[in-house]
Amino acid sequence: MGNFSLRRLFRSLLIPILAVITALIVGAVIMWLAGDNPIAAYKGLFQGAFGSARGWATTIRKWSPLLLTGLSVAIAFQAGLFNIGASGQFMMGTIFSVWVGINFADMPAIIHVPLAISAGILGGLLWGAIPGILKVTTGAHEVITTIMLNYIAALFAGWTVYAGGSQGQKPGPLWDPAAKAISQTPPVVESARIPFIFGPPYRVHWGIALAIITIFVMAWIIYKTTIGFELRTVGQNFKASKYAGIRVGWTIILAMMLAGALAGMAGAIETLGVNFKFAPEFGGSVGFDGITVALLGQTNPFGVGLAAFFLASLAAGGAKMQFDSGVSSDIIQVINALLLAFVAAPAIIRYIYRIRKSPEEQETTPKISWGG
Amino acid sequence: MSSPTRFKKTSLIALAIAIVLIIVGIVVNLLPIPDDSMWRVLFGVSTLNFTLRATVPLALGAMAGILCERTGIINIGIEGMMLAGAYAGFVAKVATNSWPLMPSLLFGVAAALLAGAAMGYIHALFSIKFKMDQIISGTFLILLAGGLTAYLFNPDMVAEGKFSPIAIPFLSKIPVIGDIFFNNPPITYTALILVAILHVALFHTKWGLRSRAAGEHPRAADTVGINVNFYRYMNTTLGGMVAGLAGGFLVLEAVGQFQEGMTAGRGFISLAAMIFGNWMPFGALGAATLFGYTQGVQNALLLAGVVNIPRHFISMLPYLVTIIAVAGFVGRVRPPAAEGKVYETEGSSE
Amino acid sequence: MRKSTLFILLALLLVSVVALSACGGKATPTQAPAEEKPAAEATQAPAVEATEAPAMEKKEFKVGLVTDVGRINDRSFNQSAWEGVKMAADKLGLTENDIKYIETKDAKDYADNINQFVENGYNVIISVGFALGDATHQAATENPDIMFIGVDQFQADPLPNYAGLIFPEDKAGYLAGVLAASLDKTGTIAAVLGTDLVPPVVAFKEGYEAGAKATKPDIKLISTYHPGELSQAFVDPEWGAATAKQAMDQGADVVFGAGGMTGNGALQEVAAAAEAGKEVYCIGVDTDQWETLPAAHPCLVSSAMKLITPGVAELITKAAAGDFPGGNYVGDVGLAPFHDFEDKVPQDVKDLLAKTKEGLLDGSIDTGYHPGG
Repeated sequence: MGNFSLRRLFRSLLIPILAVITALIVGAVIMWLAGDNPIAAYKGLFQGAFGSARGWATTIRKWSPLLLTGLSVAIAFQAGLFNIGASGQFMMGTIFSVWVGINFADMPAIIHVPLAISAGILGGLLWGAIPGILKVTTGAHEVITTIMLNYIAALFAGWTVYAGGSQGQKPGPLWDPAAKAISQTPPVVESARIPFIFGPPYRVHWGIALAIITIFVMAWIIYKTTIGFELRTVGQNFKASKYAGIRVGWTIILAMMLAGALAGMAGAIETLGVNFKFAPEFGGSVGFDGITVALLGQTNPFGVGLAAFFLASLAAGGAKMQFDSGVSSDIIQVINALLLAFVAAPAIIRYIYRIRKSPEEQETTPKISWGG
Repeated sequence: MSSPTRFKKTSLIALAIAIVLIIVGIVVNLLPIPDDSMWRVLFGVSTLNFTLRATVPLALGAMAGILCERTGIINIGIEGMMLAGAYAGFVAKVATNSWPLMPSLLFGVAAALLAGAAMGYIHALFSIKFKMDQIISGTFLILLAGGLTAYLFNPDMVAEGKFSPIAIPFLSKIPVIGDIFFNNPPITYTALILVAILHVALFHTKWGLRSRAAGEHPRAADTVGINVNFYRYMNTTLGGMVAGLAGGFLVLEAVGQFQEGMTAGRGFISLAAMIFGNWMPFGALGAATLFGYTQGVQNALLLAGVVNIPRHFISMLPYLVTIIAVAGFVGRVRPPAAEGKVYETEGSSE
Repeated sequence: MRKSTLFILLALLLVSVVALSACGGKATPTQAPAEEKPAAEATQAPAVEATEAPAMEKKEFKVGLVTDVGRINDRSFNQSAWEGVKMAADKLGLTENDIKYIETKDAKDYADNINQFVENGYNVIISVGFALGDATHQAATENPDIMFIGVDQFQADPLPNYAGLIFPEDKAGYLAGVLAASLDKTGTIAAVLGTDLVPPVVAFKEGYEAGAKATKPDIKLISTYHPGELSQAFVDPEWGAATAKQAMDQGADVVFGAGGMTGNGALQEVAAAAEAGKEVYCIGVDTDQWETLPAAHPCLVSSAMKLITPGVAELITKAAAGDFPGGNYVGDVGLAPFHDFEDKVPQDVKDLLAKTKEGLLDGSIDTGYHPGG
């Protein structure tokens, strides 16, 4: 990213750091207005995330899915695309990996685990490819298609584990008959589970190492390869990249496939390392969190890593916060939302703190329109 | 530029669906068809009643979207605006439980409108003044409303009473149509009238012309002296109000209570209806009706106990239909040209 | 200038909404959840009872509860379980510092929330809802000294320190079905249900239909599940209400609403119709909804209850006394009192219900619901 200087680093960190502080302050004001004690809440939050070995373990466990979905959204941003579909791709990754994970019981772990993760990546990649292909061939905007695909993925996933109905509806293909009326898959077989770094009660698994390696791989792809260059060029100047001889259509599809693959990988790691099964309640807001993470990390893979760690610590501390201070952990979503606003519009932060915009600084958030 | 009332193909299809439904409904319900026949299941008064009721919030949401997007502000945050409206309406209703029912409910509606307007204004402010990407701003609204209402909501708060149906004299006596259309609570009527008003306003008034100009050719609009950003602020705020009304409908007219996440994705289906209806009020109403009808039929089929396909696939329909619509398989929809683009007048600065 | 004024107005608006909610809702400090007004049953045991309870040694005894995704005061099963905890606390002479709950916001946090109590040295941990079964089982395996109570959690391989409090919901549903069919005049009754992704809901429905059919073989039953995903199925009151309306339009005059807030929406819709003069009834679920959902009073004949509160209280008491029963522990089910409808339900129907309950208990009546086989 050009010549490195301390001043530049400071400038690029200034906005995210101020955004975090401001979001925490506004969150505190809301808590105070609602009659809760913000200091007790933040104390609990911090202790929950970092105050004990289990706290650290929880933070690290929550880090990898946020990191990977953040990367997923970030790489799409790099190409000028908005991937709201991370949660659908996550879901498809989950379904693909759980299918491999509950079958092939005789396979050695050394093959089974990578195979199951690859299946998850493939599932996400295929689901991500759909909006990419639709955009290139028909011009359908990826924001609309990915939102719709999220719902379709959730319903599809629900169907695969559906226990069947009393009115003659057949159960879904992945449903576990041993669970009787409960809609869920059988447990992932031992050989497909990602091994623990620290076993119970910490349950930190090697998936996090994989996620960290992925940061470097993505950084290398984005900044050191031709594909990455083309991707960024398309993202920065759509028209110019066409004249420069870049296969724009292919680049867009590729970016969406990469984004899908990353989100699918997140799903696979969660399934094979934490949940060991799929049930419809494992959906969650992972997609929206990915957007916050990507923007807080300024769409830079290393920044995304840091941002994901921060959000993971918020999520991990929630239980302790509620336990200690009685503050509902719903407040964390409010803080996340504020954080998203402040990082997405640095102008707000500049406005509040009267920071002048430096001339060489460029906006990291893409500007997107339906027309494309 | 498009001529004012030119209906695009999707718009017509959507509208046709609504009309066919009504006609078939009338015929089926007036003919002596046995109660358990498939026709009665698919087009019975009960199914059509459900359809209208499911349509109202979707149509209001879509109108909110049209208001914003016609002036060039993308609005994917309808879901958040609705939820904020629902919660504010609920809080206002609970706070005035001791008042007579009608004033208390109207106070609730006012609060819902105000909260929606505030959300719309925030969206405009972020998009225009702070130049935030409009999709991110919409996402922010969804997250904020979801988080804040869940954080503040306490199930021990109980709202007492809700709007009851008002039968319109004479008209409500018409068979079938009277049952379906002229015996409804007030917000339902308001929603239907609003669609017509918005259509006329958009295509037959100066305000409409200027709003659309701001969304299609802001530069040209500016040249002829239209204050583009003023229209964007105004319409986005108005759009927020309409979305807030949809939330008010859920709390004050449909259910009578608030529940975390009670919009249950209706904002996103509204968005789909708006696109499928090609940013046209009546088109969007038709699309909303179609989506409402899918839910109604799905229920009717389940109630009749004749479903063999897993319901998951029926529930996918609105989403699939939307993808098909934006992908242009049914005649391509076209958004306002300048959507999502920040407009800066000459010499303006932060 | 103008914009900044607007900005301030906006901030004021936000503040007022927050403040209003704070006044309306959080009057009781959240820090002391035990102080919450007992909304339902008067579980506040009089002082006499407290002294009657076996004198506990002063050893610390702490009880924690993890809810399923939702609120502690959800007027449904989370709340019932928490009231069970409070009931046991009164009996055992525990203070409000000895009992605590955590509300789950996301299914992924089940294990972490349970761990909060483990780390803080709680003696008994209650987890509410079948979905927490795996996480609870794991925690119970890892912490053999802590006693776990799982509401709605069937035990396939029992542990000595883990009791699954399960309920034959189909029997409660069966009773509701008998009542519904007895009250019905139009020949059509309905059920508006949460989702078939959740076993207890299915059990309620199957029992309801079997009970209705046994009472009136030619009755028309119309019932439907919420069509959406799990995250929406229990929190969509508008769907419940609209569907109840649809069912009434199709001639149903008794509606069974089973499915959290979705079901409550159905009950409120029927109540509105009853208030408008229609002769319709509704039947609630899980708890005596007469206490938890006043808006349903105009139509609420009864509720198909799972007696979670006494079940939880009993298991905690047993845990304190040192004879904790691991494995499956079957709780009671039954119909709630008729309250204002006492006179509307004829004596022969009451007799039939009593007889049916007896038959269900001694096994001479079978609901026909046997999941998985």
